[in-house]
Amino acid sequence: MLKVLMQIGVIVAWLGGITYAHSQQMTEMFIPVGQSPGVSNKTSLVGMIESIDAKNRTVTVAAPSGARTVDLTSRTKIWLDRSLLKATNQTGTFADLQKGRKVEVKLEPGEGKQVAEWVKVQLTEPSAGPGAAAK
Amino acid sequence: MRKLVQCDRGPQPAVVAVLTTIVVAVATFSACQTPPSPPSDLIAKGKDIFFNETFNGNGRTCGTCHRAEANFSINPAFIATLPPNDPLFVAEFNPDLKKNFENPRLMRQFALILENLDGFDDLEKQFVMRGVPHVLSLRTSVNSPQGPRTGWSGDGAPGDGSLRSFATGAVIQHFTKTLNRIAGEDFRLPTDEELAALEAFQLSLGRQQDLTLPLPLKGIVPKRGQEIFLDNSLGKCNLCHSNAGATANFGRGNIGNANFNTGVENLPDQPADLTGERVPPDDGFGKPGDGTFNTPPLVEAADTGPFFHNNAIETIEGAVAFYDGDSFNNSPAGSDLAATDPNGVGIELDGTQIVAIAAFLRVINALENIRQSIELLEGSAQKRFTERQQAKELLKRAITETGDSIRVLKGGGLHPQAVAHLKKAKELAEEAACSVFSRRRLTEQAIEEQKNARNELVESSSSRS
Repeated sequence: MLKVLMQIGVIVAWLGGITYAHSQQMTEMFIPVGQSPGVSNKTSLVGMIESIDAKNRTVTVAAPSGARTVDLTSRTKIWLDRSLLKATNQTGTFADLQKGRKVEVKLEPGEGKQVAEWVKVQLTEPSAGPGAAAK
Repeated sequence: MRKLVQCDRGPQPAVVAVLTTIVVAVATFSACQTPPSPPSDLIAKGKDIFFNETFNGNGRTCGTCHRAEANFSINPAFIATLPPNDPLFVAEFNPDLKKNFENPRLMRQFALILENLDGFDDLEKQFVMRGVPHVLSLRTSVNSPQGPRTGWSGDGAPGDGSLRSFATGAVIQHFTKTLNRIAGEDFRLPTDEELAALEAFQLSLGRQQDLTLPLPLKGIVPKRGQEIFLDNSLGKCNLCHSNAGATANFGRGNIGNANFNTGVENLPDQPADLTGERVPPDDGFGKPGDGTFNTPPLVEAADTGPFFHNNAIETIEGAVAFYDGDSFNNSPAGSDLAATDPNGVGIELDGTQIVAIAAFLRVINALENIRQSIELLEGSAQKRFTERQQAKELLKRAITETGDSIRVLKGGGLHPQAVAHLKKAKELAEEAACSVFSRRRLTEQAIEEQKNARNELVESSSSRS
């Protein structure tokens, strides 16, 4: 009996320290829209921004499968894909989500509410930069 | 420096003429044979990409850091043999990468590579220094129920986090021409086909399955080491390194590969820290990190040091001793282990027990090297005369593996008779690589010597022919 309890104890204690695998977000920011391996054209949403709701921090994306509204949380990373401008990709803000811009959204796993893990915003004009819409 | 296969003399002109005739005849016949199956093609393509493709970057390839002749890793002794213009040292000769790309001193002294795992916002201060993990036996070590675990902290790949996606992140981090890291300018990203081929090649390397312990070992010390390794109330090694692999089993079935905070970061007097160079703390998995790191397989450990994510310990004995120290026993993993021990002990071993476990790890490493050597030698012996170059390549790899077996056993003062057989096997393979007509005979003799060596390490009933 003691042995069984100890085994259970070991399992519980060690499983408590086990972390869920996830992808590495640091190099992800340098991957252009639509080119994320195993994600683009599979589980992500690629399309044009149709509308933005800054109050509720949601963005509606017109994707080939139809328009979808996703939530952005404080955990959501926003990156500016400037590879078409031959410039370094940068960290962006909610203000960089502007109607008509092409985006790629990776959704957090799970059913129900659509929450973005990261959003890449493709910039095509040299004047556009981090938080340009707020200026 | 490892001895490379060098043949002193070429064949005589008359021999060349005769050989040319035979080669042409056999090549004509060979052209009619069935081509290799698609998986082999994919692996071969992956191998070519792994060692030759620079992705329009700074000249590095995957093989720059994961060297075949250094067990798909690198260590300071190997680095010391490289020429100054080797792409590994790109930060020393490319002005665009001079700052904040690598630390050449730490690379040369401790084989440490710079990684921006917590972001690229502050290149001066935000980085970690990590060793190069080997990519052997990935088929047994990458998967977990929580998803794939790649790299030292299990979160090394962008995209979907899989081994297939890993190369994309590696190109961005290590292959870039400048620190701007602009796709299409500083590098090109691997295509889906290239990623598939790279994955296939990496999964083909090394063991394809875990051992089933205990093995019927012959040596008294390694045998005792195996007992301690498997004893969940003494060594406790098998809990996280089930069958000396990279998966955990706490008594209710294998739970796959897992991350743990074992306190390696808290080790005092870490070699890299002693240099005075900036070495920021490595917080492991995620951002901010949770302090956990991935469990590596142990079968390949003895010949792939230095050990742990930061190359903090040079010897396998030192790596085992780490688990007897304060850094481990005060860590979250050590504390959890102690909490489930009837006497409240994490891991407590004495010097002889530490050496015994290390001896066990040395022997299973040598056994794996022998297995690989025999596979390579058999592959070489099967090559036709027209495939002599491929045969020689396989022989070279077998010679390297055998050199590792010798080094690993000698380093622990283990099995001198097996070492003698291995030395003979190495000599025969070297002769075979230089021989025009006796390659197959010499190779078969080398295989026999490998088997003799293996019979010195384990009871012959368990030896696979």
